[in-house]
Amino acid sequence: MNLPLLELRRQPGRFVVATVVLGFLATLLLFLGGLLDGLYLGSTGAIRAQNADVFVYSESARDSFLRSRITAEQRAVVEAAPGVQEVGGLGFVLLGAVIPGETDLADVAVVGYELPPKGVPAPPNDGEGIADSRLEDAGAKVGDTLLIGPQRSPITIVAFVDDSSYLLQSSIWVSLSTWRSVQNVNRPDAAVGDTVVQALAVRGTGDLVTSIDTATDGDTKSLVKADAVLSLPGVKQQKDTFNQIIYSTLAVVLAVVGLFFSLLTLERLGLYGVLKAIGATTRRLFAGVVLQAVVVAVVAFVAGSVLAVIAAAALPSSIPLQLTPARFVSTFIGLLVAAVLGSAISLRKVTKVDPASAIGNAS
Amino acid sequence: MTVLDMRDVRKVYRSGDADIVALDHATVQVDHGEIVALLGPSGSGKTTLLSIAGGLLTPTEGTVVVGGHDISEYDAKQLTEFRRENVGFVFQSVNLVPFLNAEENLLVVDELGGGKGGKAAIARARQLLDELGLGHRLKNLPGQLSGGERQRVAIGRALFNNPKLVLFDEPTSALDTKIGAQVMELIRTEMKARDTAAIIVTHDTRMTTYADRTVHIVDGRLDADSVGAGH
Repeated sequence: MNLPLLELRRQPGRFVVATVVLGFLATLLLFLGGLLDGLYLGSTGAIRAQNADVFVYSESARDSFLRSRITAEQRAVVEAAPGVQEVGGLGFVLLGAVIPGETDLADVAVVGYELPPKGVPAPPNDGEGIADSRLEDAGAKVGDTLLIGPQRSPITIVAFVDDSSYLLQSSIWVSLSTWRSVQNVNRPDAAVGDTVVQALAVRGTGDLVTSIDTATDGDTKSLVKADAVLSLPGVKQQKDTFNQIIYSTLAVVLAVVGLFFSLLTLERLGLYGVLKAIGATTRRLFAGVVLQAVVVAVVAFVAGSVLAVIAAAALPSSIPLQLTPARFVSTFIGLLVAAVLGSAISLRKVTKVDPASAIGNAS
Repeated sequence: MTVLDMRDVRKVYRSGDADIVALDHATVQVDHGEIVALLGPSGSGKTTLLSIAGGLLTPTEGTVVVGGHDISEYDAKQLTEFRRENVGFVFQSVNLVPFLNAEENLLVVDELGGGKGGKAAIARARQLLDELGLGHRLKNLPGQLSGGERQRVAIGRALFNNPKLVLFDEPTSALDTKIGAQVMELIRTEMKARDTAAIIVTHDTRMTTYADRTVHIVDGRLDADSVGAGH
């Protein structure tokens, strides 16, 4: 027999309001987290997929791939820097693409590369591209020749890969020469020379950032992969904003649990007095409150998760919502912690219950 | 043999700058199987005496020995354990756990003592309720029981751990005269059958006929003629 669980089972009506409110808050938390993950994963896939420890930008690029230019001479210096083992050029250009049979232009990022990222094969032949699966969702098929940019540069799709988009646009992985060709034809204002790349993906050992930037005498600025991901336009701002909203929502969860169980504890003061009089410890009574808060949070999380999954399935694909297992786990932990902390607000009231109040009390 | 031995007990409450003496040098003994009625007007100190005897309050001065345990200096944790194992309480407003049936309300005592409500505990609860005339009401919730039946469940809960002393706080105040008399008769029968000592706080002088002895209390002082043990 477990008093707190029996109460939940036999008087579920007392806990319905709190469970429903927490369930909706769980859905909200999953939605916010899912949107954050969708935006983050959609914006950063092309960089996260890189088999690189460090990315090297030109010093004046302000951590932007699109603004950066690395010359062959700078690359040679980087390749010779201590700890550097492998170096690959990278180039990005954002353009519209005509997909055969589709009326709307698709936004794409044509990415030139040398070192194959995770899941991406070695660079294809010139004029061919390996596309992100988002493009498949947009109607493209293997063998389709897409017309890229205002000058309609042709790229033929030879394969699809997952989770490799760039700034919420479908990436098309091409050889560096194809990238240069597409860039120079469609963006003549940003044309690059035959040996120039926008950035370098570097693998190696030791403090590569210091080693490389020292070797280039400040001509370059290097970032480790995690920093390079966060330096993508808007990524850090999105992450901070959504996390702030998520933390605020968790504070609301804490307040809801705290308020609900405080009221419940107030209702139970007489009963707690009797139970203390017949030998219940404060610890046992408080543990019961916490246990009930945890069970309410678990039930609310399950209900909120089901609701979130159903709602997510009903959303149009243009909304970048991604419900990942990690997000479910973090939301569950967040709810549990908030529930435990919220219920802890009742500790003072439970502690202050005087067992002597059970005697001489006719109420 | 004496179960409760209170000697020269004082309880003083501080209220602002004034001291309020709730119990003034009270001395009383209660023997095994003895039923003592504690009679007095409101505010006379009955509740304070009962609370100190049951380890719910600690005295300001004096000694309190229950079943051989000198609880005068016990801290809150020790008192909790002491109450769990040595004293039974029947409260004025019954105060059963509303979502537990009659049997489970008795098993609460077992759970608070670290038991798991095993077969022995269940058998004990059923036996007690059967003795109290509630064998057919085991699975009824308090809300489904009459006032007299609820009070009998409370008596069963108080007796569950075979306490040496049971304290009754106006056990018939919420019952009509007829049911109240039945409950008092039952209390007397059960206490005598178990040789358990009892103190019954009451306003109602009619109820004192069920006690072996009546102790009067006025302004925190016990009637000098009624404090000794005896039948």
